[in-house]
Amino acid sequence: MQRLVQGNEATFQGAVRAGASFYSGYPISPSSEIMAEAAKYSASHPEFRFIQTEDEIAAAMSVLGASLAGAKAFTATSGPGFSLMQESLGMGYMSEIPCVFVDVQRVGPSTGMPTLIAQGDLLQVQHGSHGDYYSIAFYPNSVAECYTLVGTAFNVAEEARQPVILLSDAHVGHLYELVDLEALATGVEVLPRALAPLGGHTRHFTGLISDDNGVPRTSDYQVYRRWLAKVKERSAAVAAKHPLYEYRPNPRSATLLISFGIISRTVLPLTEQYGYFRPIRMLPVLAEELREVAKDYRNLVVVEANDGQYASLVEQALKRDVARVPVLGGKVSPAEIADRLAEVIGQA
Amino acid sequence: MSEVRTAPRGFEGLIKRERYPHTWCPGCGIGLIFNNIIRVLSEKGLDYSNTAAISGIGCSGRMAGYMNMDSVHTPHGRALPVAEAIKLVNPDLNVIVASGDGDLASIGGNHLLHTSRRNPDITVFCVNNETYGLTGGQLAPTTPKGVRTITSLNGALHNPLSMQKIVTGNAQYFYARSTVYHLDHMRECMHAALEWPGFAFVEVISDCIELHGRRLGFKTPHEMIATYGEKYVLAPAGRTELAPNELGIMTKA
Repeated sequence: MQRLVQGNEATFQGAVRAGASFYSGYPISPSSEIMAEAAKYSASHPEFRFIQTEDEIAAAMSVLGASLAGAKAFTATSGPGFSLMQESLGMGYMSEIPCVFVDVQRVGPSTGMPTLIAQGDLLQVQHGSHGDYYSIAFYPNSVAECYTLVGTAFNVAEEARQPVILLSDAHVGHLYELVDLEALATGVEVLPRALAPLGGHTRHFTGLISDDNGVPRTSDYQVYRRWLAKVKERSAAVAAKHPLYEYRPNPRSATLLISFGIISRTVLPLTEQYGYFRPIRMLPVLAEELREVAKDYRNLVVVEANDGQYASLVEQALKRDVARVPVLGGKVSPAEIADRLAEVIGQA
Repeated sequence: MSEVRTAPRGFEGLIKRERYPHTWCPGCGIGLIFNNIIRVLSEKGLDYSNTAAISGIGCSGRMAGYMNMDSVHTPHGRALPVAEAIKLVNPDLNVIVASGDGDLASIGGNHLLHTSRRNPDITVFCVNNETYGLTGGQLAPTTPKGVRTITSLNGALHNPLSMQKIVTGNAQYFYARSTVYHLDHMRECMHAALEWPGFAFVEVISDCIELHGRRLGFKTPHEMIATYGEKYVLAPAGRTELAPNELGIMTKA
């Protein structure tokens, strides 16, 4: 049955449908509804474990512990909290712990504009923790997609044995749309756990580089290189199974708009005039798919709520100039975007 | 070549002997604490089949990795949230934390406040050597006022943190203090902590001879450890708070 559902609520319900049985979090706008949903759900489903922690560091660490103990686990936060979670993400990558982190983006840096929309955490998702690792991130632009993509994120986390990021933003998170969650639920595939739960084994999960037996090998470059090559290959192979995007060609236009999250909804009316490409898998960048689509257009323009983060990734991947239409400070105005677009295309 | 047979060294099932030699310096009190944790676990029937060990970072944080059971070596200060989540997901698993004072009470201090308040049924063994040994002997929040370290050249400026007061500030608590000089008492505290149905915290005063003790003028670990015998006394019965020089077990159900 269709009903009005909020993006953040759909994210929580989708996670449960995907097999999540643990949530830990710390309140932060504009993600707090996800935690409230988790608290409400756990009150009537004691098998679903919920903990409100003292800070986002503990929330993220709890997710790692819960995953190791056997639960599909996740947390949700926004920029300031996501910054605090980088340490846990690093351990998640190093110790190969499947889990999902949801980042409902707001304007930063720092406390920034807590209730207003931005998409400025993209490069932090890619490289926010220290050292090399290979992020996988998805970004819905509708309530229905919040529900289905969080499930994809959980499956990818198990397959790739790493944290997976579900990006969202203040508007996607707070968007209400008519959706039929029961109907969406029937299409969800749920993968089993990749790791046997703690207890009954003699494994060692450490943030140190370690060999296949869990023995720290902190002075052996060969062990490190083998490990990095292994996770790099596995991460890329799993991500390659999910080359998710939406493309609306426009043979009459020489310009391709690239946009994602709520901004992709804002630019939809412009598809009359321009081609439109919406990456859903944000990381790793959809290089091949973009290259294929982009060859039909002279101008590539990324419209995003930050100062050109995804544009820089597209430039890197395609080795082509990419124009930028930044949507800054939480002000999302279709008219302003259209004007600025005309301006940058005029300059191209 | 004939087969070489060795006599049992004890606790074969509980120690990852293949990882030896371990990382700790000769004379370090962690060896005594590790050995006695293992002994108490063995006496209690705790092993890989029913127990997981969690550590943070530092010399003491290496203890979990030598235990022959599933273990997690978390980032610095984060043993408690990881341990609490594990216990929440699997209440049947015994969850023990073995780490140091810097890890649990400084960088992990906020988690100590809140995990102890939430009172999960986990047992924490805290090695308190009053310094950051692994990184070279810096000032710790547990370093007594006036004590010189490589980052407090004229002596620590501030009074040390009381882990006792943090833990016993809660409505229910188990807090015990012992030292590596008082081995029978240490084990008594560990046994009682493992039996406690809630958050149990055992602080064990220990020596870091190489990176702290020698700077303080101690020639040998024995000399340093012997001072604990002179300084610390067993608290008289009925105490609700241990004086800084007292050992004992403080509980409130």
